[in-house]
Amino acid sequence: MSNINSRSDGSSKLCCYAHPEAPLIEDYRAGDMICSECGLVVGDRVIDVGSEWRTFSNEKSGIDPSRVGGAENPLLGGGDLSTIIGPGTGSASYDAFGAPKYQNRRTMSSSDRSLISAFKEISTMADRINLPKTIVDRANNLFKQVHDGKNLKGRSNDAKASACLYIACRQEGVPRTFKEICAVSKISKKEIGRCFKLTLKALETSVDLITTADFMSRFCANLDLPNMVQRAATYIAKKAVEMDIVPGRSPISVAAAAIYMASQAQKLSPNSINEKDASSSSNDFVTPSTSSADDNPSNSEVTGCSSTRDARSEISTNTTDSINTDLNEGL
Amino acid sequence: MDLPNDSSLRNLLQTTSNNKQNPHNTLQPQQPATTPIVEPKDVQHEVKLQNVVATVSVGCELNLQDINFRTRNSEYTPSRFHGVVMRMREPRCTALIFRTGKIICTGARNETEASLGARKFARILQKLGYPVKFVDFKLQNIVATVDLRFPIRLENLNQMHGQFSSYEPELFPGLIYRMVNPRMVLLIFVNGKIVFTGAKARKDILECLDKIYPTLLSFRKN
Repeated sequence: MSNINSRSDGSSKLCCYAHPEAPLIEDYRAGDMICSECGLVVGDRVIDVGSEWRTFSNEKSGIDPSRVGGAENPLLGGGDLSTIIGPGTGSASYDAFGAPKYQNRRTMSSSDRSLISAFKEISTMADRINLPKTIVDRANNLFKQVHDGKNLKGRSNDAKASACLYIACRQEGVPRTFKEICAVSKISKKEIGRCFKLTLKALETSVDLITTADFMSRFCANLDLPNMVQRAATYIAKKAVEMDIVPGRSPISVAAAAIYMASQAQKLSPNSINEKDASSSSNDFVTPSTSSADDNPSNSEVTGCSSTRDARSEISTNTTDSINTDLNEGL
Repeated sequence: MDLPNDSSLRNLLQTTSNNKQNPHNTLQPQQPATTPIVEPKDVQHEVKLQNVVATVSVGCELNLQDINFRTRNSEYTPSRFHGVVMRMREPRCTALIFRTGKIICTGARNETEASLGARKFARILQKLGYPVKFVDFKLQNIVATVDLRFPIRLENLNQMHGQFSSYEPELFPGLIYRMVNPRMVLLIFVNGKIVFTGAKARKDILECLDKIYPTLLSFRKN
């Protein structure tokens, strides 16, 4: 074979006989070296890094025959390759009293212990608000970077972890409010805010400003509001910010107010999907004259409408009309 | 719906019920009267100092317990804070007096008041019998405010000057601008009010204002 010949020539490079200049792609799973031009496998079983045993979750045997441990976490230390003595299997590892003989499972990572506990804490917090693994990984990376630095040295690990989680959510484009992070952490909002600012300074990064649209889908879903209300609320908030009716207000407050306004408008309209209104064939529409917290029905007007009007467009135009009037008032 | 018998009320309800429009539609939107913006050359006069903090050393050790007993306007709780807090009415200011003889004088409205207040505190200590000297009087911090009277777009300022600004509406409604050249911190608000802090001298504030004013003008809202 040509590859054997090329090896015995003294040249250390394998190459495809047809394309000697083509770069070889290494496929680690099967240990192949493949020519990128024609796909010829020029070196096989170089090293097979696939797993030795296949394990299935429904297998009843308690022992795992795999002789390697889990994947190495690249964030931790990275230099610690020491072996630990595992728990004994079989009866010989227990002494006369039934206690395990070798108990001293020396901790393998003294400097990494705080890192491991912080990663666990980040993972727990993220799990409480159902954050995906990408955000958790990003938060872990940020924590590792900030842990090595010296300007956040005095802060508690939990505060640093919460701040890293907050920044990770922001960087991924799905910001969580400080209050949401507070809800899953035992650190106060003030402390998380301080650690957040220090971390940004330490990592020399910046984050995008939050907008009202970032929170709409989440808040509306938490309140079980229909899609129409969510769309109306998004529109209200966007318009409010564009028209600069709410200068200097936190976008979260504006978003919450917009959702409230949209939900009130929807509540006053009987043609909306209402729990107690089974049939949606009503011809009467209620026009909300004010969208403040005034639920008094004597204030609303009843106007007759033709049944051919589309209910959805009616809700949206009514909402828009009342939005415009209220926005003009500077609500 | 049946209308009540009172004719005026009936008229009102009839107009509202016949009026298919929202009554708010008839109202004209009012704009607040715009105040003229401050010209660049005048703006320096508009700067108002709010607080001046100064330190001075009297050059001798003090017995805080003794000072607390012999003066009326002082408080000393060693378990909470290891200094005497003395207040003065004339230049209205407060001094923290320590055993080493160092005094921190806060609450004065300008530099002369700070100096006067510090001297008065030193005089009080002198009258108590301590060999007082007035050594190393230094202004440590001056806080000032100014009103530019035009609204500012903080989001754009945050984007353009990212390495100096920190704007988190969730945490604080103002933008925190850390200026490097006179090393100072400014709190910039949407309504055009600015708070300067961290200055050691009045000219630092004026210099900082000169530097930031054209930038803020460029981010003016309209």
